[in-house]
Amino acid sequence: MSGPYTVLASPTAREAGAVTQTVASLPATFAPAAKNLQSTADVLVVAGEPGWTDEARRAVAAGARGIVVANPVPEDTRELAAAANAAGTAVVLDLRWASNPALVAEGDGPDARDAVRSALGTASLLDSVAATAPGTDPRRLLGEHLAALLAVSGPLHEMLLLRCDATGYTVAGRLANGAPFTAQGVLTAARPAGVDIRLYTADGGVAVQVPDPDAAWPAEVRVTGTHGELLLPTLYESAHRSAWRRLKDHLGAGTRPDDLAGFARLTDLYATLADT
Amino acid sequence: MSHDTAPADRPLGVGILGAGPVTQAIHLPALARLQDILEVRHIMDVDPAVASSVAARVGATAGTSMDALMNDPAVDVVAICSPHQFHADQVIAACRAGKQAVLCEKPFAMNAGEAARISAVSSETGVPIVVGAMHTFDPGWLAAEQNWGDLPEQVHTIRSSIVLPPNARFEDFATEILTRPAAGEPNYSDINVIKNALRGGIMGLAIHDLPLVRRFTPDFADIEVLQVLHVRPFGYAVSLRTPTRVIELRAVMNSTWKPEWTFEAIADDAALHIDFTPSYVQAGSAVARLTSRGGSETRTFGPYGHNGYEGEWRELAELAKGTRQAPSAQALIDDLTFALAIADATVDSAPGQADTAEKAGVSA
Repeated sequence: MSGPYTVLASPTAREAGAVTQTVASLPATFAPAAKNLQSTADVLVVAGEPGWTDEARRAVAAGARGIVVANPVPEDTRELAAAANAAGTAVVLDLRWASNPALVAEGDGPDARDAVRSALGTASLLDSVAATAPGTDPRRLLGEHLAALLAVSGPLHEMLLLRCDATGYTVAGRLANGAPFTAQGVLTAARPAGVDIRLYTADGGVAVQVPDPDAAWPAEVRVTGTHGELLLPTLYESAHRSAWRRLKDHLGAGTRPDDLAGFARLTDLYATLADT
Repeated sequence: MSHDTAPADRPLGVGILGAGPVTQAIHLPALARLQDILEVRHIMDVDPAVASSVAARVGATAGTSMDALMNDPAVDVVAICSPHQFHADQVIAACRAGKQAVLCEKPFAMNAGEAARISAVSSETGVPIVVGAMHTFDPGWLAAEQNWGDLPEQVHTIRSSIVLPPNARFEDFATEILTRPAAGEPNYSDINVIKNALRGGIMGLAIHDLPLVRRFTPDFADIEVLQVLHVRPFGYAVSLRTPTRVIELRAVMNSTWKPEWTFEAIADDAALHIDFTPSYVQAGSAVARLTSRGGSETRTFGPYGHNGYEGEWRELAELAKGTRQAPSAQALIDDLTFALAIADATVDSAPGQADTAEKAGVSA
C-alpha cells in the first residue's frame, strides 16, 4: 500500500494518545478515516485502560492492519500477541515515557539504553524519580515508570514495593551486579511531569531525563566519565510520534514489532510488585 | 566567667582544636576571606608537627594542649574540629573557659546524654554554640527560608541526594594538604563493616542535610525506616517516613569528577529545590529554586558570593560580638537526636546485606 493508512480512534483514545496532532505530523503515511469508511480503517487506536487487550483483540479480529495502544496499563498480553501474530497485525504500544526515541534508538544511533547498559557492570546505584500530577493513581504511575526503567536498564531483581500512598511510592531492588536501585514516584504539580533516571558508576554515570509526550520536548541523556560529560543528540520528537513512526516502518516493511513481548516483562514485574 | 568582648576594630581571635584536612582545606580558607573580623591565633593538634606546620601558615601559636588553647587570652572563639568522640567534652571545656562563642563540627555529641550536658553548660555559661551544619548557614538556603512561606507545612516528600568525588579532589583545589588519614580497603563481606559504613554515612555525610530535612518534618520524632541499602564503594540509599512525610536519602561517593548535592522538599503545588556547591572549595552559595502555583511560578535565589562554611563563621563572629541571638539549644539537640535516631535505625535495618551483595557479586 502506498497511500496513507486510514486511522480510527475513539474520543478517549484520541485524547490519551494525542492522535490528531500526531497523525497530522506524518501526513504522507496516515490520515483520519472518513466517516463513511470508519469500519474499514487500516489502523485502530485503543486507549490503554484496563481491558485494552480485549479491545485490541477485537480490532485484530475486525481486520485492522495496525493497532496503536495509547498508554497501556500492565495487562496479560499473551492472547493478544497470539492473535496479532496469526492475523499479521502490527501492534505498537505508545508508552508515556518508554516510547521516547531517546531511550531506544532505531538503527545504530546512540541512545539511553546503550549508555546505561554499557555502564551497568560498574554500577554503584541506580536512582530514579518519576513525577506526575496529584490525583493520579500512583500504581498507574508506577507502571509507566517501570516501563521506562526496563527500556534502558534490562532486568531488575529482588524488587520490593516499600510503600504506595496518595503522595507516591518507593520501590527498591538490585541490578544484575548486586548494586541497589531505587525508584520513587512523587505526585506533585510543582515540577514538570517526567521521569529522571540516574545511574552512578565507579567513575561517573548516566543521567536520563524524559519529559511528558505532550510536546516534542527532547529527552536529555548525559554520559559522565573520565572524558567529561557527553550530551547525546537531542531528538525533538514526542513519544507519541516515535510510536507512530515505528508503526509506519512496520507497515511499510510488512514486519511485526516486539512491543507485546517487551510489555509482558513489565506485566510480570508489576504483578510481582503488587504481591509485595 | 567573664565574657570580654573584643574591641570593635579588632578581629576576634580564633583557636582551633584539630588541624586535619577539614581545618586545613575548609576552615582556614574560609577564615582567610574574613580577616577583617576573625583572626586565627592558636592551633592545637595531637601531632605537634601538624600543629606547628598549620599554625605557621597563619602566624598562629601552635600546641598539643587543649588546656593551653582554652587558657590563651588571645582566643575569643573556639572551633572544635577534632574526632567526633572528643566533641562533647571540648565544647563544655570551651564554655567553661569563658570563650565568647564555640563552633563545633558536626556531630556535636555522640548521644542524647552528651547533648543534654552541653545544653546545660551552654545555658549556665551563656556561651553560644554553633554546630557546623554548613548548609543551614548557606545564603541560598537562608534566602529560600525567608521566602518559602508555609511550604514546610505543605511538604509531603523530602529528598537529599549527595554524589561526591573523593574528598582529596576538592581538598587539593582548596589548599596544600599536610597529612591525610590513611585510606583502607573496607572488607564488605563483614556485615559489621557495612553497618559501620552506614553509620558513618549517616553521621558523617547525611548529617549535613538532616537539619534541613528536619525543618520540613514536624513529626520528626516518629521516624520509621522502610529500607536501607548499602552503596559501594561508599554511600547509602535510605527510605524513611513519618506519619506525614516521606524522606529519601541517597549518597554515592565514587571516583567521579562531577559533584551533585541536591535537596528537595516537595508539596502538591509547591516545591523547593536546592543545588549546593561542593565542600572545601570557595565556589559560592547554593542556588535555591522555589516553585509555586503548580509549577507556573519559579523564584531563584543565588548564587551568592560565599558558601555555608563562611556563613557559619560570619554568624559565629556576630554571636561573639553579641549582635545576633544565639541559636536555640533545643534545636541543636533535636537535630542531633534526629540524626542519631536515623543512624541507629539504619544500622538495625542493615543485617543480611553482606550475604546478598556477595551472592549478587558472584553472579554479575
